[in-house]
Amino acid sequence: MKKRLLIANRSEIAIRIIRSAHKLGMLAVVFQSDREPDALYLKYADEIIPARDMNNEKSIFLDPERIVNLALEHNIDLLHPGYGFLSENPDFAQLCVDNGINFIGPSPALIRDMGLKTVAKSMAIKAGLPLVPGSDGPVKDAAAAKEYADKIGYPVILKASAGGGGRGMRIVEKADTIERNFKSASDEALAAFGNGDMFIEKYLQNPKHLEFQIMGDKHGHVIHLGERECSLQRKHQKIMEEAPSASVTPEMRAEMGEMAIRFAKSIGYYSAGTIEFIMDEDGSYFFMEMNTRIQVEHPVTEMITGVDLVDWQIKVALGEVLSVKQEDIKINGWAIEIRVNTEDPQNRFSPQTGFIDKIHFPKRDYIRIETGIQSGSVVTPYFDSMISKIIVHGTDRKDVIQKTLDALYEFSLVGLKTTVPFCRAVLQHPDFIDATYTTRWVDSVFTPDMLENEDDEMIGALAATILYASEYLQLSSDLPTYKQDALNVWVLNKRLNY
Amino acid sequence: MGTSYIYKRDASRLFIAVRDNGKRYKIYIPKDTNPVINGEEHDINFVEQEDFHYTFDWKGKRFHCELVSRDQNKAIIKVNGVEYKYSLESIFSLIRRGMINADANKIDENNIIAPMPGKIVDIFLAEGDLVNVGEPILTLEAMKMQNEITANCNGVIRKIKVNTGQSVMKDELLVEIQSIDV
Repeated sequence: MKKRLLIANRSEIAIRIIRSAHKLGMLAVVFQSDREPDALYLKYADEIIPARDMNNEKSIFLDPERIVNLALEHNIDLLHPGYGFLSENPDFAQLCVDNGINFIGPSPALIRDMGLKTVAKSMAIKAGLPLVPGSDGPVKDAAAAKEYADKIGYPVILKASAGGGGRGMRIVEKADTIERNFKSASDEALAAFGNGDMFIEKYLQNPKHLEFQIMGDKHGHVIHLGERECSLQRKHQKIMEEAPSASVTPEMRAEMGEMAIRFAKSIGYYSAGTIEFIMDEDGSYFFMEMNTRIQVEHPVTEMITGVDLVDWQIKVALGEVLSVKQEDIKINGWAIEIRVNTEDPQNRFSPQTGFIDKIHFPKRDYIRIETGIQSGSVVTPYFDSMISKIIVHGTDRKDVIQKTLDALYEFSLVGLKTTVPFCRAVLQHPDFIDATYTTRWVDSVFTPDMLENEDDEMIGALAATILYASEYLQLSSDLPTYKQDALNVWVLNKRLNY
Repeated sequence: MGTSYIYKRDASRLFIAVRDNGKRYKIYIPKDTNPVINGEEHDINFVEQEDFHYTFDWKGKRFHCELVSRDQNKAIIKVNGVEYKYSLESIFSLIRRGMINADANKIDENNIIAPMPGKIVDIFLAEGDLVNVGEPILTLEAMKMQNEITANCNGVIRKIKVNTGQSVMKDELLVEIQSIDV
């Protein structure tokens, strides 16, 4: 009998997991949420469970009890959480395990540990990973803060232990302002959170975000699949990723990869995982955190290594031995992922909702499209703004940049604005071409006028004129359509031939 | 006559699109050929056309244009995913507006007067025609020499004050042109 795999997720990742389930001879089961009853992923599933979550406060994807109850009702063997939603919720993973459902991911205990930043960091220290220099606990007063900052070097960041939302937080550039800043931040924290305790940490002004993909099995084997660079972020969320990173030399890759494996082994990790590092301008790097789920940007790693990460997640969950060895992993070329989000890059990436009248993706053998929508789909305010991903593979970095740019010029979407023009601008910017971009790029370098170009502006003027002209001459409505000869004739001629 | 005419003869096909950053595009849409933008003919082709969505092909690239909003003569067009805002004028609305805020001197500047006494032997253009700077408008014969009188600006011929065969004095007004060079 075929195993039944339930996907507790939606959109492109649901379709991605269905593909792996089918490849491994399983039945793919999905939920149909009332919040998007016509979603594209439903078409690919073998079985659909109606979630009837219309009147529930939370959608089905955020409701652990209902998911598990429905899974039991439908005789589910394995559950894949995808990313986001409950994918890194240890209580949910535990609930699955307790009910005899094979949760695809690491053990619930490890999900919990990695979710607690302080626990994760102390485990990383034990495994010998470098951390951003900082005080282990709260510093006692302004003088102690100054003494500590003088030791680790400026700039430093002062953070309230109880802080959040930027309150009780100060970036201090030089020694003579630290005592004043410490006092004001501490007072602010005391007023806001009733606790004036302050931490101090080295502040990286222009850091890069690097992450290592690892894969482990339940028999103690762990390999790494190289790094991804995800420095391009807006609102602290990734928007474009590449693999490998131009800032990582083969020696560093070996060193950091070995570190990632050592860490994973020391905590008994299995399934897919990501170890995040932050890298300073001088090339020094520090452990940030570990993600215990499959990540949005996993395809870039798959493109350059040829390893199917979702397949292995499932196989590892079933107890299979990881047959891919570290020496089998060769980095082949370069890959870039573009996230197509329905956001307006001309207006601070504000989300856009509504109809996708028409969408067209480029088709090439080196382009992989992962999409959760199609022409005619609706983008609702209930879920994430990411609708598709365009992943491009090239022989080297220069080649993949050009191929991606061409692909984005071929891509079109009628109805909503997307992040694609933003990614186009990035691909042509010297900071990206030279690979010097950092996580601060969007805030410190990007301006919306970078999205514009003269050719587009001129063609826009022409399009505006044609629309205006056809109305001006009051002929547009009563003329036949020109679809048949639209290819080679300057169509407007007929409109204006009065 | 040897002049390559950039603007053709029909002023009703000339439009001005001004972007919100002040950039101006003079767009002429001829009957049989490619559009002329700011005096230059471009090999731009329609690939696809639906109600408010056009796709053009130019320089081997695709340009997807979508009407986002339209208010009177203002339009926002999304080109390859990025919005641009234009205000649009037909040449006549521009002239009408130009006459409302008329600067009398400015119109005078573009009047063409006879540089010498003589006889009008030929008139090439008619009122309402578009002219380019340097384009011949009429021929004035003086002292057995034929002199081509040319336009001193790009614009529309508003009035032709003389007829073929008529004799004119020096400094007599021949033609009034409404300039579209701003």
